[in-house]
Order: sequence, then structure tokens, then C-alpha cells
Amino acid sequence: MKLACVIHRFGTDIAGGSESHCRVVAEHLAEVHDVTILTTCAKDHVTWKNHYPRGESHVGRLRVLRFPVARPRDLHRFMDISDLVFADRATLAEQEQWFRENGPDAPELLDHLRQHGGSYDRLLFWSYRYYHSYFGLPLVASRAVLVPTAEEDPLIRVDVLDRLFSLPAAYLYLTPEEAELVGARAPARAPSAVIGCGLDPAKTGAATSRLDDLDIEDPFVLYLGRIDPNKGCDTLLRNFLRYVALGRRIQLVMAGPASIEIPDHASIRALGFVEDSVREALLARARVLLMPSPFESLSMVLLEAWNHGLPVLVNARCRVTRGQTTRADGGLYYRNAAEFEAALDYLLTHEETRTRLGAQGRAYVDREYRWPTVMAKLEALLRQC
Amino acid sequence: MTTVVTKALMEEIERDVRNRLRRHIIKRGGAPEYEDEAIFERVRASLGRAVDERNPDALLLPELLDSDVEWELQTHLRLSTHRPVVGRLILFVKRRVLLPMTRWLFEYSQENFRRQQRINAVLFACIEELAIENARLRERSDV
Repeated sequence: MKLACVIHRFGTDIAGGSESHCRVVAEHLAEVHDVTILTTCAKDHVTWKNHYPRGESHVGRLRVLRFPVARPRDLHRFMDISDLVFADRATLAEQEQWFRENGPDAPELLDHLRQHGGSYDRLLFWSYRYYHSYFGLPLVASRAVLVPTAEEDPLIRVDVLDRLFSLPAAYLYLTPEEAELVGARAPARAPSAVIGCGLDPAKTGAATSRLDDLDIEDPFVLYLGRIDPNKGCDTLLRNFLRYVALGRRIQLVMAGPASIEIPDHASIRALGFVEDSVREALLARARVLLMPSPFESLSMVLLEAWNHGLPVLVNARCRVTRGQTTRADGGLYYRNAAEFEAALDYLLTHEETRTRLGAQGRAYVDREYRWPTVMAKLEALLRQC
Repeated sequence: MTTVVTKALMEEIERDVRNRLRRHIIKRGGAPEYEDEAIFERVRASLGRAVDERNPDALLLPELLDSDVEWELQTHLRLSTHRPVVGRLILFVKRRVLLPMTRWLFEYSQENFRRQQRINAVLFACIEELAIENARLRERSDV
């Protein structure tokens, strides 16, 4: 089949969740199909400033067509209209304007879809919240497969999405929770599949010596990802400091770029962005992975932790991560500081249970998230729609 | 090795946390009704539902508030001018000169406004939860 994967930004150096998902799925599809990535020249997800050269390039087996962003995002206008839309005070026209202001505004990408959309057998659109999906998908709706990457945030409830969600020929979801969230507004006959994302088995014997010079003390618990208030990290830091104030001897290692101030505390070690080999070593040696984010469409880091047999402790207010954890029987969850303390204490003091939860998590990944399983579901959907 | 079921283990942990919380509140002079474990659990469950399960963007009370009254907190600073001619210049000075000078105060207030807005939403949800429970009881007593 000739396939197009349409995404707001694309690059091997881009770490965003939906962007990474699109890239790895496209790479696997390209093993059997002719795959073109349709994207913009943007790299920065805040400004959408043009960074990559426009036109055609190749990344491995993938052909990449980039279209320029006509105007960078105006943050003042975007925040003003976000206030209106999220407070449920916006008209339909203002709701539609939100998608223009959110961007990345790439009219030439839409022109390409208009003129050449018919030459692709299927076009897969990642992330409903961006310009390319909102304005691009309706141009090729009968061949479009939407990968919404929807989270339970205020945007998902805006009225103007009823039309967008009624159009795709098929849906690919990341979790059953996402399917429930979006599925009620999807056309009844549109086929769908919950695929999540594939993982290769973790390499055994990760070189934990990579951690020797990093001033990490055993035992430690781990946070991996952007250190950001939107990811629940400010609450995590508060909960953790309260926990160690009770006299517990444990270090919190945080690996990822930080957009908040991390307290200078002996029990907290912030590593910043880390290479893959360090990431693997951290996952191999940590006691528990902490996942405080209140909004996720699929937590890849949970799957990575289970891939290493590491149990997780997640924020129960996020239906997706709580759902993943209970389906896997791969960890515990908490709603507040007291439950955080109790659950973390339990995991750190019950070694056998902790090991068992981690092993159950790995069995869940083996069952649901190996590439052959994921691609079989995806191929079946592409044949069906 | 036997399977560890997350939900079952969490029920055990949550029960322990609830008991500790109840004892802590009683010790600090909280409501004497909480000596009765069942009453404490019912109250906690009602308030817990309001906090965890109600969607703060879909509550009845805010809809009933008079729309002419600006009751909602404005957490985002909106700079505007009514002057048609020099308006652009005034806005430019506000954005590029005044705002950077007072940004620390703006950010401090904005964070507190956000917290207050969250508390308001939770309180609206609690009132709604209690009103629903009251309506159910009334319906049952009317039958």
C-alpha cells in the first residue's frame, strides 16, 4: 500500500510522545509499505519556527515531505483564545480559530493533501489537536485513519470536534480509555483498533556501571521524562520531600529536561537529559518508577519500566496510567500525599511483591506490546477500512 | 509464585490510609461523628467522589450563576486599549516595558489565582455531590 503519515513535526531528534509514536510506527510500516511522512519544517513545539529545510528528504526507508510554517505561533493570541475555549465560553467559530492559533499553520501541506491526497491508499493523521489534522483530515476523510492521541483535558470536550471525529474512515487508539473517550463521537461503522505501541525486549545486562559517575545512591526511585508542572512533577516533588521527611532513606533520580526549579536536596538527584544507555541502566537498577502525570494518552515510560521488570507507582487521577497499571497488575497508584507515602512504603518494604509486580508488568508487555502483535492489529485495520 | 492483583492490594493500602486519616482527625479534635467508622467512610466517599470523579468543566452551579456578573477568576492577563489611534503604541509599552518590569508580581498572583480557581471548582463539585445525594434521599422518602 502507498501510505502517508501526517504529523505536525517530525525528526529523529524530536522527543515528543505522538511524534515518537508516529516515527516508530512509520518505520515498521515501511518494512512492507511505501511510506511518506507529510509534515512541517517546525522543530520547536512552542513557536513552530521553521527549522528543517522544506521539500523532500529521506530518513531510513521513509520519504519525508516538509512544508513551511506560514506564521509562528502568537502566544498572546493563543492564550487569549485558549482561555475562552477551555472555559466553555467560545462560539464554534472561536473554537475553530483555536486550531488555527495552535498551529503549526502550514497551508502548503493542506494544498498537497488537496492535490495529491488521492494518490495515497491510506493517510494516517497523528494528534487531533493540531492544524494539520483539524484542517487536513476533512480533505481526505474517506482514506483517513485518525490516531487521536487524546487525553482527558478540556479540549476534548469542545463542540467543534463532533464534526472532525465523525469524518475518519478508521481510528487507531493507544489505550482502551482513549477509545472510550473518543469512540462515542466516532462514526458507528468506522473500524478501530487499540494498538498502543510496540517495544523490543529490553537488553539483558544493561551496563549499570554507566551510573557510577552520576552521584546516584542506592536504593533509588526513578522519574523519567520532561520535568514539568503539566506532568505532575511539582506535586511529585512535594510528595517525595514529605516522604523523606518521615525519615525514609531513599533517593529520587529525575532524568529529563526540567522546566521547573528542582529543590536542592540530598535525596533528589536531577540528571537532565540522559543518553539511551544511561536510561537503560537507570531502569535496570531503580526500585520503582514514579509516574505522576494527570494527563496521558499512553504512557510509554510505563511500558519501558515493565520491559525491565520494574514496578510503577502512578497518579490514580490519570485514568489511562491507572488503567494500564491495573491491566498489567504491574504496580500501585495514589490519589493524594498520604496514599503516595503508603504505596511507596509498601513497594520499598515488600521486596517479593515488588519483584512480582515488575515481572507481571513484563509479562503484560510480552502479551500486548511486542511489535509483531502491534503491527498485526494495525495491518488488519488498514485492510479493513 | 501467586499473582499479585493491583486492585486488591490497593484496597488494602487505601483502607489503612483511611483508618490512619480518621484517627488523625479525631486526635486533632475533628467531628465527633467520625468515631463511627461507617459515618466517616460515607463522608469521605461523598467528598472523594466530588474531588476525583466530577468533571470541573461540567458542573451545574456555575451554569446557574448570573452570566452578567463577572464571577469567574480571570487568570490570564488581557492587555487592551480603547484608544483607536495611539492604542497600538500604548499596548506596545504595556507589553514590552510595563509587563516585564512587573512580571514577578504578575506570576506570583497568577499562580495564587489558579489555586483559588481550583479550590472553587472543587467546592462547587462538593456542593453538587451533596445536592445529588439530597435529591436521591428526597426521592426515596417521597416513594
